[in-house]
Amino acid sequence: MKHLKLALAGLAAFSVLAGCGNDKTPNPMAAAVGAVAKTGMAKLKGQSAEAAPAAQPASPKDLRAELAKAGQPILLVSSTALGQTGFLTVSDAKGGVLTWATPDGATFSQRDGVLIQTRGLGFDLMSAQVPSVGQLRQVGTPYQRVYFFLGPDDQGTRRTYDCVTASVGTESIEVLGRTHATTRLTETCTRSSGGGKVTNEFWIDGAMIRQSRQWVSAGLGYIDFARVID
Amino acid sequence: MQPTSRLFALLALGTALVSAPALAEMSGTLNLNGATGLIDMPSGDAQKDATFSFSTALIGPVSRATLSFQFSERLSGSFRFQTWRDWDTLIPGDSEESDRSIDLRYQVLKEGKIAPALTIGLQDLTGQGLFASEYVAATKTFGDKVKVTAGLGWGRLGSDGGIGSPFGSRPPVDPTGVPNADQWFRGEAAPFAGVEYKVNDNWTLKAEYSSDAYVLEDAERGLIERDSPFNFGVEYQRNPYMRFGAYSLYGSEFALAFHIILDPKSRATGGIVGKAPVPVKARPARAADPEAYDSGWVSQPDAGPILRQNLAKRLAKDGIAVENLAYTADTVQVRIRNGRIDAGSQAIGRTARALSHVMPASVEVFEIVPVVNGIGASKVTIRRSDLEALEYTADNATLLRERVTVTDAGPAPAWSLGDEDLYPKFRWSLRPVVRLSEPMEGDIGLRLSANYDMAPGWVLSGSIYKELVSNREASASTSTLPHVRTDGSRYNEFGDPALEKLTLAWFARPADSLYSRVSVGYLERMHAGVSGELLWKPVDSQLALGAEVNYTKQRDTDGGLGFGEYDYDIVTGHVSAYYDFGNGYLGQLDVGRYLAGDVGATMSVDRVFANGWRVGAFATVTDVSAEDFGEGGFDKGIRLTIPFNWALGTDTRRGFDLNFRPNGGDGGARLNVDDRLYQSIREYHTDGLDPDWGRVWR
Repeated sequence: MKHLKLALAGLAAFSVLAGCGNDKTPNPMAAAVGAVAKTGMAKLKGQSAEAAPAAQPASPKDLRAELAKAGQPILLVSSTALGQTGFLTVSDAKGGVLTWATPDGATFSQRDGVLIQTRGLGFDLMSAQVPSVGQLRQVGTPYQRVYFFLGPDDQGTRRTYDCVTASVGTESIEVLGRTHATTRLTETCTRSSGGGKVTNEFWIDGAMIRQSRQWVSAGLGYIDFARVID
Repeated sequence: MQPTSRLFALLALGTALVSAPALAEMSGTLNLNGATGLIDMPSGDAQKDATFSFSTALIGPVSRATLSFQFSERLSGSFRFQTWRDWDTLIPGDSEESDRSIDLRYQVLKEGKIAPALTIGLQDLTGQGLFASEYVAATKTFGDKVKVTAGLGWGRLGSDGGIGSPFGSRPPVDPTGVPNADQWFRGEAAPFAGVEYKVNDNWTLKAEYSSDAYVLEDAERGLIERDSPFNFGVEYQRNPYMRFGAYSLYGSEFALAFHIILDPKSRATGGIVGKAPVPVKARPARAADPEAYDSGWVSQPDAGPILRQNLAKRLAKDGIAVENLAYTADTVQVRIRNGRIDAGSQAIGRTARALSHVMPASVEVFEIVPVVNGIGASKVTIRRSDLEALEYTADNATLLRERVTVTDAGPAPAWSLGDEDLYPKFRWSLRPVVRLSEPMEGDIGLRLSANYDMAPGWVLSGSIYKELVSNREASASTSTLPHVRTDGSRYNEFGDPALEKLTLAWFARPADSLYSRVSVGYLERMHAGVSGELLWKPVDSQLALGAEVNYTKQRDTDGGLGFGEYDYDIVTGHVSAYYDFGNGYLGQLDVGRYLAGDVGATMSVDRVFANGWRVGAFATVTDVSAEDFGEGGFDKGIRLTIPFNWALGTDTRRGFDLNFRPNGGDGGARLNVDDRLYQSIREYHTDGLDPDWGRVWR
């Protein structure tokens, strides 16, 4: 009984009194309680804790026209693991690398359309040794891919894969109401040690990767990318 | 629900809600004693390296709460608090009895193709013997579903179905509190056995034959009737963090168990979440734009304040304050105070990125000096061109580390620009606090803290604590030593609210690799005075040496400023050696004089994880005899820090600290002074930065 009393009082103290003062260090204990409560509420309402998807304009073409007004390149990113889809703009461009940012501060960096880094997603890809578009086009020629991560204990780890690409043929794909004639390539990567297989898909449109499905990390799995506006 | 289990449940819940990675292969499961095993019996298995667990079990009128830690792949330990209710059923007296016990287990053999896993265990190795047992247990897995265990036990585990005493008779425990080495593996030995069947990833069935006669609970006290040696049970693994068990024990009792299992090596969110860093800003090529590299800006009088202001604005987003800035045409030195990011390397990376945006192109060398308590902890020198070249390179963390140097901080350049807004600065906070003295005993209250940063290295700080709820048992000290610690319950009772501390501290760097601290005032709840410390720790050294001298008077119990109640003052002090054994194992040896005037040494070993988890154990032996010390025999305990970022995945430097000293006495007691130097300095030395250096790019 006395234990129960202590526990209840403690819970009340943590949830009601988030703590105050001008020392701006956050009080994570209160945040934890808050997060628990919030997720619980969302579950009760039968929806995921993630934000509800934004209202969609009438047609893909209208949306494209809306996006084009911004006058800058746009990448469509969707992740099953994160349950999110978003239109991203470029936050950094240098040396052949484009970094795309979400409004809430996550980024995807791609070298010629091939993913090399992510930030702000939790299970981030810290860096990677990846093929160029030219390399991807050399169907049947083996090469290595190396992914670098931070383990859950924050120590650096790497995964090395032996990869080869195969041509699936030409495909006509639609990206937000616009049709593109592409060559589809499948990249198959196997791990020399430790097992595991990665299969990335690329739809190449002229010199650029128009659309792709690329593996990010063990925690995030695959993410789909499509260049909406060049 | 118990307060600790509630707390841990909250932590676990916070992490469980985030989509967790797939269930890792379970090494061994936990038993009613919170040790790896079957139901009431141990097994030859071990937990996954670094697993930390909190177990509560209810066996009729007996409850057990156990903290266990797999200290290395083979070595594990437990600290248990056991309560027997209805203790007066047969013999008049207290209605409740409690006992603390410590276990150690070592896995001699790991399971192979043919060989079973083999573990030797010591249960309740220092106590009064209520739960004392030793055992050897072997466990073999057949297929991926069945595990069979067989073992031989002594002590309690040799009390039913004995086969004789292979190593002679078992002497009584004397004195309590010290390792009872003369008892170990003595007396009757008895075999035990059991089988586990894993139905699927969630459900496990268990059955065992127990060699524990429950003499204490059955014959002596009449609490539990032991009708049969067979136990049966079913366990449910809800997720990687929670396991439940229900059992039929000894043909007469029903038992329940609940385990919270935490893996310090796995942050549930994977990596730290939180916003991506700003990209490194590239400079124009020198050939293309030579004017950008002109160093004329150095002589502009307003350049300094503008640069410092721009930098401070960028770094404020990451909770980093700019202490001061000094520059020449090609080098900048910035002194930073990291208030939020838990990894030193990430704070350095964020600072370097900000510098790439702020500093004119002619500045090629970034010197970043993290400042702790007003003193520079180290100097990390990064070439701007390396930062630019490696940002998107594969394995950029390793490559950058090869090009970066970590050296002694040195003094701040004389021409550096401080920030008038940083000093003096007043900070205060009012926060709920949990203070535990046992796994299930403690109080919850409010702490009002205030800090006044007067000048770099000079801090005036104080705190007042008001208890809200407590379940501590008041107990009068019977210690024959000066009551430097054992009057704790008087301090809790009479001083509420109490001034916990009110101190003026001065931190400095008297020379290269030397750090110093002087604290004056009400240093802790029970003692006040002066404390001085000197630490020698080169930035790349695994060894550090320190010395501390204190002169203190014992404070009144009412939580005020007086010294009338005790007429006790003493000079205490220690020389200390710290050694980083690598892979996160830290050792410390302190030799000196303790608060009760006793002389001796403290050994401590901690395992620290890159993400901030810290689990350690310490033991102090002084010239106080085990009899004078009291029930505990000598001072020993475990300590634990769980960083909030591990549970929440967000940037924060705060954590949940626990410090348990079972049966602590007046012997081997040290002054609890704040801000001892080693830990805070080490974070920014190579042994603190390197394990999670990869976060420099985070």
